This record gives sequence, structure tokens and C-alpha cells, in this order.
Amino acid sequence: MATTDQMSEMTAPAAGASPELLVLLTAMPQEQLESVLANLTDSLPVESLLVAAPEAVSKTAYPALRIVAAPPASASWTLTAADFVSAYQAADKNKARALLMLGPQSASLGSAGLRALSNAVLTTATDLSVPCYDLTPNAGLINSAILYPLSRALFASRVRFPLATELGLSLRMAERLAGAAQRLVTVDQGETPLWPINEASVAGFAVGQFDAGPHVQEVNPGLDLNTVLPTVTGALFSDIDAKAAFWQRPRQLPPARDPLPQSRPSDGAVDITPMVQSFRLAYTNLYELWSLVLPPNSLFGLKRLFATDAAQFRMPDSLWVRVVYDFLLAYRLRTINRGHLLGALIPLYLAWVASHINVAASGVSPESHIEAVAAAFEADKPYLVARWRWPDRFNP
Amino acid sequence: MNFALTCETFRTSGTEPMQGVDFMQNAFAMMLQPDVNQTSPPSYAGSDSIWQQISESLHQSLYRVLSLLLAVLPGLVAFLVAVVVLSLVGMAVSALLRRGLAAAKFDDRITRGGSNSDWMTSSSPSALIARVSFWACVLIGLIIGVSAFDASYATAALPPSSLMPYLTHAVGAVFLLIAGTLFARFLARSVLIEAVNAKLQYARLLSLGIKWLVLVLTGAMVLDHLQIGGNVVELAFGILFSGIVLTLALAVGLGSRDLVSRSLESHADRSSERLTAPPATSGADSGDSIRHF
Repeated sequence: MATTDQMSEMTAPAAGASPELLVLLTAMPQEQLESVLANLTDSLPVESLLVAAPEAVSKTAYPALRIVAAPPASASWTLTAADFVSAYQAADKNKARALLMLGPQSASLGSAGLRALSNAVLTTATDLSVPCYDLTPNAGLINSAILYPLSRALFASRVRFPLATELGLSLRMAERLAGAAQRLVTVDQGETPLWPINEASVAGFAVGQFDAGPHVQEVNPGLDLNTVLPTVTGALFSDIDAKAAFWQRPRQLPPARDPLPQSRPSDGAVDITPMVQSFRLAYTNLYELWSLVLPPNSLFGLKRLFATDAAQFRMPDSLWVRVVYDFLLAYRLRTINRGHLLGALIPLYLAWVASHINVAASGVSPESHIEAVAAAFEADKPYLVARWRWPDRFNP
Repeated sequence: MNFALTCETFRTSGTEPMQGVDFMQNAFAMMLQPDVNQTSPPSYAGSDSIWQQISESLHQSLYRVLSLLLAVLPGLVAFLVAVVVLSLVGMAVSALLRRGLAAAKFDDRITRGGSNSDWMTSSSPSALIARVSFWACVLIGLIIGVSAFDASYATAALPPSSLMPYLTHAVGAVFLLIAGTLFARFLARSVLIEAVNAKLQYARLLSLGIKWLVLVLTGAMVLDHLQIGGNVVELAFGILFSGIVLTLALAVGLGSRDLVSRSLESHADRSSERLTAPPATSGADSGDSIRHF
């Protein structure tokens, strides 16, 4: 993908005045695009908007909106580094004060959510506004198991969805993200997800989180766990590795949201047997590989889990924390090939999911369990820091 | 009559008359007698001459061995000098590179460049470059040394030996063996992880099969490179390779027929459920209401 001046062919806005807010839309089906545009006209003053859309939009349907063509973007399931480069170039070219990036599946974001994200970066000192989605208990589990706890423990951020696909950005935040994204694009990794929360934490920028209501995702047949988990965790581990000097220092976590966001009711009982079987199959086949990464104590914990019935299947939070931290360390040290490492994490993640569903089925609120897991990550951070600094030290 | 004539002939044609012995003794004595045309007649008569012969043989073999050593010695010294000198050069180049790259902040530039390749080692990029340059110099020294050794050996006007061709081929064979073993291990691990994540019950069998296919291929290439076995190796490799493939096919097709059919059915079920799933179950696992992302 071309990285220099991707917006050069963009049509200039019809009105001469600079827009307050540039709304950058990624590739999405036509009906979703129309839904997003309708939401925008309902929630924001159209005279201050400039919309950059990759698809052709009928201007007669939205005469009040200034719509320009955005460069064609790849149909990714999340915002990628290349999207952030394009976004900043567009904002700089049109002299916008702030940006609203709407990724795929943003049609479900309501008017209130759009307004909150936009106003935060336009009218307050917030540099990055992110949505807090209202999901069912069994949704967004990679986020709950790995992304949120790691982001909270290492970057002292309570943002519940660090890899949100809708973002409000101030111009300086967009510039910083574009700089980070450009480095990835230069080495032909433009499709890699970027971590705005981590960047904002390192830069010391203000981050705001806003309720965004229910979030519904369409089916993406090419998207499966074996692709998503290695991609997301690999990108996050790499970002953590690059920002090691920042997160090793202790930081104060902002106060918790009160009360905790309540999950929507579950869609029904979930059969965890396939996930437990996957874990058991992996235990019998991948034990040697895991033993290169995990210390004996964690292996013993997994052995006990292997012998547990599906009904009693519970992975202790401390064990999951150590698994993630040791995989992060192995990623940094390149103990084994990184592709192999992230592939070997998938069955362990499925074991956590099975355990989480069992915990939720026992009457514990899923959100409380996720908060407990995140707190366990925070409590065990000294282990990560110590092993990061002295990886060869004895580790039973 | 004829017999008497023969005896008479012997008596008259001998160089010296043999008296007091019968005919058989005469005949044996004649067989042992030296040829009159021989220039230096060996003396087998006394024990002194035998010891002399042994001594001469020992001297000759000692002479041959010493000559061989003297012929090889310059080549050996040249080999050692080449390796030592190039190793020292390699150390110097490595140290210079290390300092130069550190001064240019090469590691920081690479890290900031976002290099995220799976193939990078745990060492820093500058340390890796310095190490590679050192070992490249050592390798060049080895090649120069072996060439010098080979040249001096060939010009020594000694009988050709079968050692040198194998020595030179052995270096390539060792590299082939290492590369093949590493590739087999990498491939086996990749297949194992992918198969486990695809929930295939015969993941280990598949991984082992792939590993041994690559190892057998590597072994055949090494033997071929060493020119050992000739057509026998090719034939044996063909039989063994086909045998492993056939075994895998039979194991998967017959022995694990039920497992394969179950795997295929579950895969087909997952695909059909994915296609027919409502929007709320995007990214669902096994058709349940689980959404990982």
C-alpha cells in the first residue's frame, strides 16, 4: 500500500471553512455506511463535519454533509496502522481540529455514543476518547482475558476495550499515532493493529471512556480464533516490548468506574466440552513445547487442570496470569519461534474461556470475574518486571 | 630308458655337481638355485641376510611415511595459518562492526523500525551482524586452508588418497544435515500446533510423519552429496519416502477413518453454522454464543 500522501487525490471540501471534525470511515457495506451517515447527521452539527468515506456515497441523500473520497483501505476487522496514517494525513490536509475514526461494524454505535466520542475531543482536554461497549457475557473474550488486563496492569489504564474500533482523536493524538503507525507501514506491517491506549499513556495524553451502548458485529467468515488471537496478542506483545522502559516504572491506576458496567444477559447456556477437549488434546501434544516457556509450577497447575472434569473446570486466576506473563517473556526472549509461541497459546486461552464460563455459570458476575483477573495481573506485575530484567534467574 | 636319460641330463646341465643326494633332492635343490642372470642374488642362506632384509623393509616403510608426512606438513601448516589468521581478522572485523553499529545506534533504529520478524534471534541485531561476520571469516579461513592443504597434497607426487574429496564434501554434507534437521524440527512443530488447533486427534502422528519425511530427504541428500551408495541410495530413498507417504495415507485413511470422518464432519458443521449464523454470533466458537473478539 502506498504510504506517502495517500490523501492527495481527495476532493477538497465544497465549503471553504475548515471543518471542526473529520470523520474517517473505513471500508464497510453500503447499508452500514448509510446507517452510519444517518447517525452522524442525527447526532452532530453537520456544518462542522467533513466525512471521508472510501465507498461512493450519493450526495443527494445527504446534501448537508460534506463528503470526500478517502483512499481505498483494506477490509480489515479492526483499525490498522495504515488507517491511522491515512487519518492524520486527511486531518492535516483539511486542517481539522479533531478526528472521529469509525471502523468496521460501527453502524451499531448509536447517536449518543457518536456524540460523546466527538464532544470529548472537541470541547474538552481529552486527547483520546474510546467507547465502552455493552456486550453479552460471552463476547469480547480475548479482550477480557488478555488485552484489558495487560493494558491495565502495565499502562495503568482502566479502558475496558483497548482495541476499540471507534475512536475520537485530538490532532496531536492523531499525529502521535500516525508517527507510530508510519514505522509499521515502512516495514510493510501496515495491517498490524495499533494500540492507542498505550501510546496515549506513554505520551501522557488524557484518555476518556464513554458508554457506547450495545455493539453488534456482523459475521466475517475469514475471521477465526486461530487467526485473530496470534495477530492481536503478537501486536500487543510487540508493543509492550517496545515500551518496556515506560511500563516497568510503577504507576497509579485511576479510580474505578462506579458501578461496574453490567453485562447484558447471556444468549443461553454454552457447552464448554469442545474447549476443554481442545485443551486436553493440546496438553497431550504440546506439553513439550509449553515446558520450554512455562516454569514447573505453571506446568503442574496445567496438569491438575488436565485431570479436572468439565463441570469442575476452573483455571485459577494466578495460573492464567503466569501463563500470559511467561508467554510475553518468551515472546521477548524469542525462546521459540514467535508464530509457534502464539499458536501454542490458543488452547490455553480456550481453557481460560471454559473456566470463565463455568465461573459465570456458578453465579459470579462475569464482569466481576474479569475485574478479578485484571487485579491478579496487577498484583503479579513484579514477577513480570523481575523476569524481564533478569530472565536467567532461577524460576521454580 | 627315458628316466635314465633325464637323470643324466640333470647331471650334465647343472652348474655344480650334486653328489650323495638322490634324484628328488636334486630336483628340489635345483628349484632353489638362483638364476644365473639375476644381478643381485638374495642370500637366503644365512640368518644375517634375513635380518638385513627386514631392516631394509622397515627403513623403506619409515622413509615412505616420513616422506608422506613431509609432503603433508606444509599443507597442514598452511591450513592452520589460514584458519588462525582469518579468525584473527574475523575478530577484528567483528569488534569494528560492533563498535561502528553501536556508534550509529543501529539497534535503536531497527527497533524503532518496528521489525517484528519471526525469524530474528534473541541477540540484538548488531551482535548478530558481528557474530555472522566473525564466523564468515572463520569459514573463509577454513576454505582457504582446505584448498591449500589439498593443493600441497596433490603436488606431493604421492599416491592419490580418497580422503580429500570426502573432506571437502563432508563440509557441505554437515551443513546440509544441520539445515535439514532444523527445517524438519521447525516443520514438525508448525504442523503439530496447526493440527492441535484444528482439533485433529492424529496431530502427533502427522507431525512425526512430516518430520521423518524431511529427515529421510535430508539423509538421502547428504549421502548423495558424499557420493556414497550411488543408485542404491536413490532407490532406497524412493522406497522409504514412498513407504512413509503410503503409511501415513493408510494410517489416516484406514486406521483413523472414523477420526478423519468426525473431523471433517465437525469442520463442515462449523463452516455451515458460520455461514448461517445470525449477526450476534459473529466469530462464534462451535456455533455457541461465544464471541472471542
